[in-house]
Amino acid sequence: MAVKTKARGPSALARGEERTALWLLLPAFLIIAIVAAYPLGRVLYSSMTNERFAAGTDIRGEFVGLQNYRQLLSLTLRAVPQRLDAEGRPVVEDGAPVYENPRLFLRRLDTQLRYDAVRTFDLFGNRYVLGASSSDFINAIWDTLVFTVSSVALETILGLIIALTLARKFVGRGIMRAAMLVPWAIITVVSARIWEWMLQSTRAGFFNTFLTDLGLIERPIAFFQTASLQVPAMVMIDVWKTTPFMALLLLAGLAVIPAELYEAAEVDGAGPIRRFFQITLPLLAPTLAVALIFRTLDALRVFDLFQVVYGESRYSMASYAYYQLIAARNVGMSAAASVVIFIVIFVFAILYIRALGVERDGD
Amino acid sequence: MGTKRRSVTYVLGQIGFWLLIVLIFIYLIFPFYWAISSALKTQAELIQTPATYLPQNPTLVNFRAVFQNDAFLRGLGNSVLVAGAVTLMSLLVGSFAGFALGKLRFRGRAPSLYVILAMTMFPQIAVLAGLYAVIRVLGMPALPSLVLSYMIFTTPFTVWVLTAFFKGLPVSLLQSAQVDGATTFQTFRKILLPLTAPALVTTGLLAFIQAWNEYLFALTFTSISPEARTVPVAMALFSGQIARQEPFGEIMAGAVVVTVPLIVLVLVFQNRIVAGLTAGAVKG
Repeated sequence: MAVKTKARGPSALARGEERTALWLLLPAFLIIAIVAAYPLGRVLYSSMTNERFAAGTDIRGEFVGLQNYRQLLSLTLRAVPQRLDAEGRPVVEDGAPVYENPRLFLRRLDTQLRYDAVRTFDLFGNRYVLGASSSDFINAIWDTLVFTVSSVALETILGLIIALTLARKFVGRGIMRAAMLVPWAIITVVSARIWEWMLQSTRAGFFNTFLTDLGLIERPIAFFQTASLQVPAMVMIDVWKTTPFMALLLLAGLAVIPAELYEAAEVDGAGPIRRFFQITLPLLAPTLAVALIFRTLDALRVFDLFQVVYGESRYSMASYAYYQLIAARNVGMSAAASVVIFIVIFVFAILYIRALGVERDGD
Repeated sequence: MGTKRRSVTYVLGQIGFWLLIVLIFIYLIFPFYWAISSALKTQAELIQTPATYLPQNPTLVNFRAVFQNDAFLRGLGNSVLVAGAVTLMSLLVGSFAGFALGKLRFRGRAPSLYVILAMTMFPQIAVLAGLYAVIRVLGMPALPSLVLSYMIFTTPFTVWVLTAFFKGLPVSLLQSAQVDGATTFQTFRKILLPLTAPALVTTGLLAFIQAWNEYLFALTFTSISPEARTVPVAMALFSGQIARQEPFGEIMAGAVVVTVPLIVLVLVFQNRIVAGLTAGAVKG
């Protein structure tokens, strides 16, 4: 706040200035009210109703309290019983107990909510199943978290490598910096479609052809059809698209580190690794923190990639909320899912600000 | 001996450095190259296995098909309209608010800034259902509703960057104009606004690109009016003219068509864009 010296002129002038300021701010705040504040309030309210869109007419829902949240987030952890033979003895095959099908077991339970199996695991000689009343949403939360952590981590490492490389002066640096803007300038949907094509499950796709040519694989990999590869494929696309942004931020951060520091360190005999950890990293930390926050909050609300590539076969948190709204026409559930996403993002933001001690004041 | 070892490590370092540069370059550019090369392939070559690294018989068939695809062309038109309108409106709103927050003294200045900063972190998905309801109730057509809803992410950013820019202009400009009897608004319009032209170009470009890129609102609000679909929606729902299955040749041609103008724009203004992107993130 550089102009806080209260050297006020005639108070009429000051009052005029204040009035002008309020008028000038009005449009911005009007827009924020219409497109953010009111809709957010409406979403909060809708999330506690059973509002739906029916053909043509809206059913103004009734208030149902936290029912939607229960439906979205209820979990149950149960021990799966062993399968019994006709005489009621546990079946054993090859010395290992045989368990019932966890999905059917959950279905048989006499609970108010119906549960679907999310994960099964063995612990201390028992088999357990984790059931969720909205397994799609629970999976979406998990997938989005995995996606966020892995893509932000990879982007940071790759971004740092690229930034450190390009920080040197060399012939063609301008070309490299221009090349960095290419992935950034490509629409996310378009980059999803390009990678969808490159990752085709047959050798018509680039990756399957290339990996075969290198002799790394024998038969084509079905990247999008193999459950365990679905999220990594998303990470791959996202890392390509957003690493340049990270690298650009870090490059700008590197540019403001005074060169004398490095010269002094070199005179003192510090090697490149020590210089990196003792000068570069600490001085880059504030930029890194801001870049991390931006990217994490962005990754948590990932929508385009998941929606374009997987549609309704695998969700991110945001594409689940979209699906509930448009395909299932379930406004109440969609709103509740949005609120959950909002809370998750908010928690991440608070954690980051706490952990990194970031301050971004207005001046 | 010492100098010799030094020169060997130097040469090795240079080789490693240039290898790294080439690798990074390929990584950044290759997917776009693949899109171009696929767009130039015939349908037969596209489904051929293994894929060819270079088009064997380059053809413009896919590009021709894309330029005869009404849904795609309408998408382009809609996107230009929407992104253009969003850019103009955000600059107008942003420069007003930026001037007030950057140069004027008034109560509530700091809280206003914080509200706007908080908005930059605001997840769009959180208001999706609410905004959809507002638009349905108002009976707003899809295109204007897209323009309005895009302001949710362009406004905070524009205000933020322009505030910083206005703050950087010398106070003496404002004072001398006031001494000359100009009203505050006249000072803003006649003297300060022309000086902010570079910042306006930067923020305008970034707002344009964000609006051009947006998919969630576009997909949602055009779900009942396909004629209002923008480029990302058209690209996601692309149905081909030639091929019966997923027409990847045409999709790649479309990808190239919508990307090339943007890349040209970005390369022309690259210094400004980098400055705009990094504004606020780096403290000098």
